[in-house]
Amino acid sequence: MSRKEELLAELDRCVLEMEDDTVTGVAQEYVDAGYDAYEGITEGLSKGMEKAGQLYEEEEYFVPELLICSDAMYNGLDVLKPHLKASTDQGSKCPVIIGVVEGDTHDIGKNLVKIMMDTAGFEVYDLGRDVAVEAFVEKAKEVGHGIICMSTLMTTTMGNMSRVIESLKEQGLRDRFGVMVGGGPLSKSFADKIGADLYTANAAEAAKESKNLADKIANS
Amino acid sequence: MNQQDTPANLLAGTLHREKSYRPPCICPGGMMNMLTVEAMDLCHTYWPEAHSDPVLMARLAAAPFAAGLFDNIGVPFCMTVEAEAMGSAVDLGDRQTEPRVTAYAIASVEQWDKLSPVSLDRGRAKVVLDALARIRAQYPQAAIIGNLTGPISLASSLVDANALYKELRKKPQAAHALMDFVTDNLITFGRAQIQAGAEFIVISDPSGTGEILGPRLFEEYALPGLNRLCQALRPLCSGVIVHICGQLRTVYPQLAQLESDAISVDAAVSLEKLRENVPGKVVMGNVSTFALAAGKSDTIRSLCRGCLRSGADILAPACGLGTTTALSSIRILMETVKEAADAD
Repeated sequence: MSRKEELLAELDRCVLEMEDDTVTGVAQEYVDAGYDAYEGITEGLSKGMEKAGQLYEEEEYFVPELLICSDAMYNGLDVLKPHLKASTDQGSKCPVIIGVVEGDTHDIGKNLVKIMMDTAGFEVYDLGRDVAVEAFVEKAKEVGHGIICMSTLMTTTMGNMSRVIESLKEQGLRDRFGVMVGGGPLSKSFADKIGADLYTANAAEAAKESKNLADKIANS
Repeated sequence: MNQQDTPANLLAGTLHREKSYRPPCICPGGMMNMLTVEAMDLCHTYWPEAHSDPVLMARLAAAPFAAGLFDNIGVPFCMTVEAEAMGSAVDLGDRQTEPRVTAYAIASVEQWDKLSPVSLDRGRAKVVLDALARIRAQYPQAAIIGNLTGPISLASSLVDANALYKELRKKPQAAHALMDFVTDNLITFGRAQIQAGAEFIVISDPSGTGEILGPRLFEEYALPGLNRLCQALRPLCSGVIVHICGQLRTVYPQLAQLESDAISVDAAVSLEKLRENVPGKVVMGNVSTFALAAGKSDTIRSLCRGCLRSGADILAPACGLGTTTALSSIRILMETVKEAADAD
């Protein structure tokens, strides 16, 4: 194994094994040696995060573990990102607008989805939590096409999801966006009822399924 | 008059596994919201005012009971009373939106000693206690429920959940100190609720689920706090019910150690499986909150009957009610438990 491969494997391991401090030094050594930063992300950090997502799906990891893994990934990204070459700009990334709907400030699930979508190569616009219907629609106008991803943990705020969808229709934007929803109290039948395109039960599934959704929009 | 003829005795009897003439029909309040726009119209009393006025809180809480929808009356209407008293900032919402935390009291579990203890003689904690006293005086026959936010959920309303969940692993010593402090305060508030008039306590811990924490952290952090609450409060009242959200599969062995009288679960949980894996618990649940909101009466009725058939001892909406749910839909729950009584 070359030194580069060793370091990539170490970046991968640091993310997977929640070494959120150690990862910074490894990433630094990697860029100091002059290795390609983009590969450091795709072949190192992201691999580790994907494996962490896999363990989460298999119920070996749970939310606390996944959050620390993602800290490790972002700590590594902070070191690698300034060294990305302009030529590795990925112009074709599908935009994702993500947020917790208004009335709710529970954003753990949304953050996990954001992390997994980052890892999966989407261009993520995170509107945060307690996001007004209008804010989703404004951002949709600005971005033009892509995926809108909404979550809530509270039964009393679910109605705001269908309000976003209705508002997208009124503005003539609905056809240009795939809409996905998730969160504790939701279900596939609720998603169908409000006219969302996709419901997923957890973050790893959300990132996977949204790739299919992105392909569908790109081909429509 | 039969001892069990009051709704309060009916619930107490069911929690103590006595034979009753029908299953109780409950919607506790707290996290499991029981108020809808139509119910507010019934008594011309509305959110957000009712969150901070004991007269309005008591009147609004009693409306679904007075309309014959449920056997209980429960306060408060949200999960933010304790967090606000301990130092977090809360937005009380509007007619259809529940109160929510808008700024956390502390940034890390390590700052737990900067939290204020819950004060019982001011703020919304006092509103809840005063409302309970009024409800007790006016509706002594009702199953009066005081709601507590579960320990992990309260902790996640004091420290941002992102930080809390990580620190449960990374800073266990401080995390345990925070959980102990939080649980002590919940015991104080729970005792005061019972003293003020609550005959039952329901603890809801939506942020402390097995799905989120996994079995190891659930056992290390969530279970001990819940059990301390049960140990402290059960001897003082007629029963303690714990509601846990989400799938429970990963934490069945831990739930078997839960010391509450009853366990209340999400619609996603199979009651048959639950009874098999967590034997001996009175089970409350779990009519889909969404089906109730969607309002198809045939669907709701068959879900209610299905719950009773698969072993619900207490019939209840799985995660409380959405605020747009029609009274005619809610009424089907009580109709189903009464039909079960007639059938016997």
